[in-house]
Amino acid sequence: MAEQPTLVTITVDGKPAQVPAGTLLIEAVKAAGVHIPHFCYHPRMKPVGMCRMCLIEVEGPRGMLLTTSCTTPVADGMAVHTESDTVKKAQEGVLEFLLLNHPLDCPVCDRGGECPLQDQTMACGPGESRMVEEKRHYPKPIPISDLVLLDRERCILCARCTRFSDEISGDPLIEFKGRGNAVEVNTFPDEPFASYFSGNTVQICPVGALTATPYRFRARPWDLEAVESTCPHCSVGCRISVQSSRNQVLRFMGVDNGPTNQGWLCDKGRFGFEYLGSPQRLAAPLIRNADGVLQEAAWSDALDLVAERLGALAAGGPDVVAGLGGARGTNEEAFAFGKFLRETLGTNNLDAQLGDGLDARLLAGITARGTIDDLERARTVLVWAPDLKEELPVLYLRVRRAATELGARLIVVHPRETGLDPVAAHTIRYRPGAGTELLRRLADGSGDLAEARRALGEGPVVAIVGRPGAGDDPRLAEAVLAFAAGLPGATLLPVTRRSNVYGAADMGLDPGLLPGRVAAPAGTGGRDAAGIIEGLIAGEVAGLVLLGADPVADYLEPARAAAALEAASFTVAIGLFLDESAAMADVVLPALGFAEVEGTVTNLEGRVQKVNRLLPGPAGARPTHEILEDIARRMGGSIGAASAEALAAEMAATAPAYAGITWEALSWGEGRRGIVAPGPAGSQPLVHAPEDHAPPPVGRNLVLHLARVLYDQGTLTQAGPSLAKLARPAAAHVHPEDATRFGIPAGATVRVTGSGGSVELPTVFDPSLVAGTVYLPLHCGASIGAGLEITMEAVS
Amino acid sequence: MTQILTTRMEAHPSDSHTLGRYEDTGGYAVLRTALAGMQPDAIVAEVKASNLRGRGGANFPCGVKWGFLAPSRPRYLVINGDESEPGTFKDRQLLERDPHQLIEGIILSAYALGVHHAFIYIRGEYPRPARRVQRAVEEAYGAGYLGRDILGSGFDLEVTVHLGAGAYICGEETALLNSLEGRRGEPRIKPPFPAVEGLYAKPTIVNNVETISNIPWIVGNGGAAYDAIGPEGSRGTRMFSLSGHVNQPGNYEVVMGMTWRDFIYGYGGGIRHGNALKAWIPGGASAPWFVEEHLDTPLTIDDVAKNRSMLGSGAVVVMDETTCMVKAALRVVRFFAHESCGQCTPCREGATWLQQVLTRIEAGAGRDIDLDLLLDISDNISPGLAWPPAMTTICPLGPSAVSPITSIATYFKDEVAAHVHGGGCPLG
Amino acid sequence: MTWDRRTEDRAAAIVGRYPEKRSAVMPLLYLAMAEDGYLSEDGMRRVAQLTGLSNAQVQGVASFYTMYKRDGVGEYLVSVCTSISCMLLGGDDVLDAVAAETGVADGETGEDGLFSVEHGECIGACGGAPALQVNYELIEGVTPDHGRALCRWLAENRPAVVRGDDLQERFGGRRSFDWGPVEAGGATGAVPAFGPLGTAGEGS
Ligand SMILES: Cc1cc2nc3c(=O)[nH]c(=O)nc-3n(C[C@H](O)[C@H](O)[C@H](O)COP(=O)(O)O)c2cc1C
Ligand code: SF4
Ligand code: FES
Repeated sequence: MAEQPTLVTITVDGKPAQVPAGTLLIEAVKAAGVHIPHFCYHPRMKPVGMCRMCLIEVEGPRGMLLTTSCTTPVADGMAVHTESDTVKKAQEGVLEFLLLNHPLDCPVCDRGGECPLQDQTMACGPGESRMVEEKRHYPKPIPISDLVLLDRERCILCARCTRFSDEISGDPLIEFKGRGNAVEVNTFPDEPFASYFSGNTVQICPVGALTATPYRFRARPWDLEAVESTCPHCSVGCRISVQSSRNQVLRFMGVDNGPTNQGWLCDKGRFGFEYLGSPQRLAAPLIRNADGVLQEAAWSDALDLVAERLGALAAGGPDVVAGLGGARGTNEEAFAFGKFLRETLGTNNLDAQLGDGLDARLLAGITARGTIDDLERARTVLVWAPDLKEELPVLYLRVRRAATELGARLIVVHPRETGLDPVAAHTIRYRPGAGTELLRRLADGSGDLAEARRALGEGPVVAIVGRPGAGDDPRLAEAVLAFAAGLPGATLLPVTRRSNVYGAADMGLDPGLLPGRVAAPAGTGGRDAAGIIEGLIAGEVAGLVLLGADPVADYLEPARAAAALEAASFTVAIGLFLDESAAMADVVLPALGFAEVEGTVTNLEGRVQKVNRLLPGPAGARPTHEILEDIARRMGGSIGAASAEALAAEMAATAPAYAGITWEALSWGEGRRGIVAPGPAGSQPLVHAPEDHAPPPVGRNLVLHLARVLYDQGTLTQAGPSLAKLARPAAAHVHPEDATRFGIPAGATVRVTGSGGSVELPTVFDPSLVAGTVYLPLHCGASIGAGLEITMEAVS
Repeated sequence: MTQILTTRMEAHPSDSHTLGRYEDTGGYAVLRTALAGMQPDAIVAEVKASNLRGRGGANFPCGVKWGFLAPSRPRYLVINGDESEPGTFKDRQLLERDPHQLIEGIILSAYALGVHHAFIYIRGEYPRPARRVQRAVEEAYGAGYLGRDILGSGFDLEVTVHLGAGAYICGEETALLNSLEGRRGEPRIKPPFPAVEGLYAKPTIVNNVETISNIPWIVGNGGAAYDAIGPEGSRGTRMFSLSGHVNQPGNYEVVMGMTWRDFIYGYGGGIRHGNALKAWIPGGASAPWFVEEHLDTPLTIDDVAKNRSMLGSGAVVVMDETTCMVKAALRVVRFFAHESCGQCTPCREGATWLQQVLTRIEAGAGRDIDLDLLLDISDNISPGLAWPPAMTTICPLGPSAVSPITSIATYFKDEVAAHVHGGGCPLG
Repeated sequence: MTWDRRTEDRAAAIVGRYPEKRSAVMPLLYLAMAEDGYLSEDGMRRVAQLTGLSNAQVQGVASFYTMYKRDGVGEYLVSVCTSISCMLLGGDDVLDAVAAETGVADGETGEDGLFSVEHGECIGACGGAPALQVNYELIEGVTPDHGRALCRWLAENRPAVVRGDDLQERFGGRRSFDWGPVEAGGATGAVPAFGPLGTAGEGS
């Protein structure tokens, strides 16, 4: 619960008001219902008092003092005047100054209609300019990155954008340039504003100086329809406003949800909506015909076929069919999928993850599960996880804020440098495979780890733990979590990928879990993703249902996944695109996706938030739960999915942790910020005994660090033109010593061979690795498998 | 006549800047005595008792400012040698001709304030003064006046000389601190004041070159002796930079209290070619102008303030009857528009606009409404056009651009009108 | 990119003079200018590396100050003061004379790269107005004729080091005050000659 602020009494325009102590006047009077016009002030950044729009008068010992309300903290007994003649004159003066050099191009400006400068001018601005001289001129919009354009003539020099990139995101690629009347915002020549967070500057620019290419000239604000929702791209669960016009999503805007994103979004989230309107979206069911070609079919034919084939296979025993997926959709879909697999098909072969996450029993069982907001109070933060900037960008922002603004001590453990390193007090590197040994030394505080260990003894500690690379054993993360759970005041944030993994685990999409974080009874059996894939190859599993999962592209040993689908006697894929796996299926069923269905999702804190419907989606696509229900009916059963909301109600009734978290509760007031489903009580259980985890020996030869980057070749990224072009060409990162050892000249191409294949890539020297490690981005063009041991040789 | 700052350079023009001459003429003796026998607080007390007021422009009592220094450490002392206000060249002489006097003042001040790292910020266009100061700093290190365990006292002090790079605004103390931190020289919002959160967000005292050059004398002779010189509120001597249409321009160290007439006609030797006096700027380009009627006003900080101007940086610029007041105002406004840091709207836009309107008037394209427009723009920078100025800006640079406007509007309205109606300057 | 050994050593010494390395940006920018004759993009990049700032931040600082010349600058930068005190005593005429003699307009650099001419704001020489600077070496009491002669002399003699005392002796007039003894040092480019500890230029 939020602490109640103490109140002080001030008078605003003669009326007494109780306002929270310690706030800035601009916020304090807002609490008293008075709006002060402003441009440079932004509640999530340090005030700078530059635009001077928010001038008001404060009574002081030496008479009235004109002062900026955005920089003045309230004090008890203060008397402020926001509407005196002096204030009005001063504000009108500032407005006139701002307009002197501002073009009058509102009709063609993206901001027209939602521009505070325009609003302010309409309300009290000068009718006509008193300046007869020429305005300041710059060439019209210049692209400052692939996503953002800058129109310097419209810029009012409020420095919101430059402060954001310096203070908040930590990549100050745009700055003021010049002095006085010649000040402009700009980048360094040849160094674009290639920040993962650039879209935030477009959102907070108070005028139309910064615009985003995906939105430019697409709509006028008054034509937009909007719903509030939750970003579908990762498990931070940023709150967004989805905005559309004529059934096309045109933009996402960050909503300031204090506990999670504080208003910010990453560019992948912000601009990752284009896939929804992609012409490649599936719009009709497909059935593989006699020639082996997928061909459009009627829904009834497709559903009949699926029911018939699955029914026949399921009759052969519970182990013969299996389901993968469900981590990208809503909880309701996951719940329906679980019921379909367990009740209709009678199988316990089900997994929402593809062997690349943490054990679902662990996720469900964490007792000291923290919230992102715990970072506001943390003394020490331990990040032993994927590079947050690449995988959970807005969580990176929150950790960065803790380390830079709030004085927390940050410890980052990772095989190579990460986005957080510049603000970390301690950066600890290790070779994949040597993590267990490192953990033991860290726990002991031996040698150069003494300082870091001491910091970990100072609570409250927030530990953010996951698998830094694909090859890291999930049991290492489990051991780290167990260690961190014992630190003073510790709260834990487990990190896995895919937006709704936690929800899927809570819905029981794992052989070891039933809905509501209930462990499956001992001896229940069932296969996880690896078991399913190996079972398919071995012929022990024959039928497969994929729900928004693409193992052929995503499984860490893609060749095994391809072989599995090859071997399957029947596969049905339910999803949005004909991805690599769907292309191998026997039946493909088009589903509705984000912004097309209503439901809930659960982020990495266990926070349940609402997602809402704004669009009809492709005419031929249907909601997942309806598809599953129709198949179940044809098989003589039902999953009871009358509606998504009914599923939600059933889920809330079945799952104790979700009791009371209804759509209703999530739709109003504080509930819109999400409700955290409470973790289980008791002490942190270990799913695996530590001795289970015998790390492979790490010898003189090379080991692989395989990790994700934000912009990759993933289906959803590639289906939108704006993000597709941001994927950088992959390279093999080699430690300079290894380059010497293996005779690899700078810039040479190397062939890296791993457990699942070979890939040829150009090299980059990366001294941030521990020698003996090669780093490759996942989805680097060819699959090489996730096994630790690799070989490398120079080609050509 | 009392002289404090310029005795050595007058008596020994060829080598007043050297350590040898400085020591020969009693230099560093005060430091020796102080480090051997005075508590830091005792020095602060002498400076307070002296009633020395800052010479950088704001005239704030030095001892009072020192008293605001917050307790946390480290803390810093920064000497403001950015001297860039048009008309001002006094600090240049102090830096160039008697750098050890400043350095001794720095060591005494640092000792008094518990500072172990001091910076001397010198404007970029002053390489010669910077060279002389740097050399003097090195001499002082060599002689054990700087560095570790100064003169065996256990007191340590490092001094770094930092060169500016062409930005008047860096004379404003918080802009100076940003500049010294390697940032754009933009003034900070106050509070917090530097004495609480200054360089690297640590407590910092910023003082002008001339202010600190007085410290050895004050500590040596006692605050009371200094307080006995000159009229109340304007104690001690003060360096004035006199320039413009006078016969004898130059720097003058004077005891305040004389009339302006005595200063301009006495020290300045009167107006060139026997011309008539038209106006003068009494305290640097930021100050509203004086005219004939002010000639018998006493030259003190408070008397000037009472007459709605200021002694500011001590720069006196004299204009004779041949001067076009529109052109003179424009030149001063041009300066402030050029030097605006650009961060706050009224200064960035307002000063430029004032310059544009004045340029038009000077070029003969003025309109009847332009003087009112100038005044209203000014009013939006400095509401009420009051004195001392109120401001809509972050720092006083914006209101400084208003001074020439109110000056010509008050005293030379007809000349402005003549420009408007005559299509240009009536003086030809 | 890195500089040669000697320059890198000076850069390291400069960084060492400050409690925080960011503070070294300004002297390092001078060093970069002295290296290339003007402030190049590469120079700014190197300063960014040495101070832990982004290139855009270094550019932000550099562009704030008028003495960091990012667009190239002539061998001799002649800055003529036209602020109030110099204006009153004919600074504008000196500027015109210098521009006419060099054929380089205010704010420009000549095609042969010999001269850059600019009007300056007050350079603290009001007692010796009108005044000008050549590569920031000061000459006071300059008439238009002096200004012309000065430029002619520079063009003919092409001194590698510009010494203020020398130029004052040849082309100056009334000084703001007695400068004291003649100094040996001077500027080797459009960078202030200050630098016993390696800031910029040679000084003496
Ligand atoms: C725009 C502006 C320019 C200033 N320029 C200078 C300057 O060049 N030198 C100086 O010592 N003080 C200057 N000041 C005053 C300083 O902010 C500060 O008050 C002074 O350095 C304090 O020293 P003092 O108390 O010893 O006078 C300036 C102030 C403003 C607002
Ligand atoms: S581009 Fe927008 S956000 Fe940035 S300074 Fe200009 S007006 Fe402000
Ligand atoms: S909002 Fe206060 S100065 Fe801009």
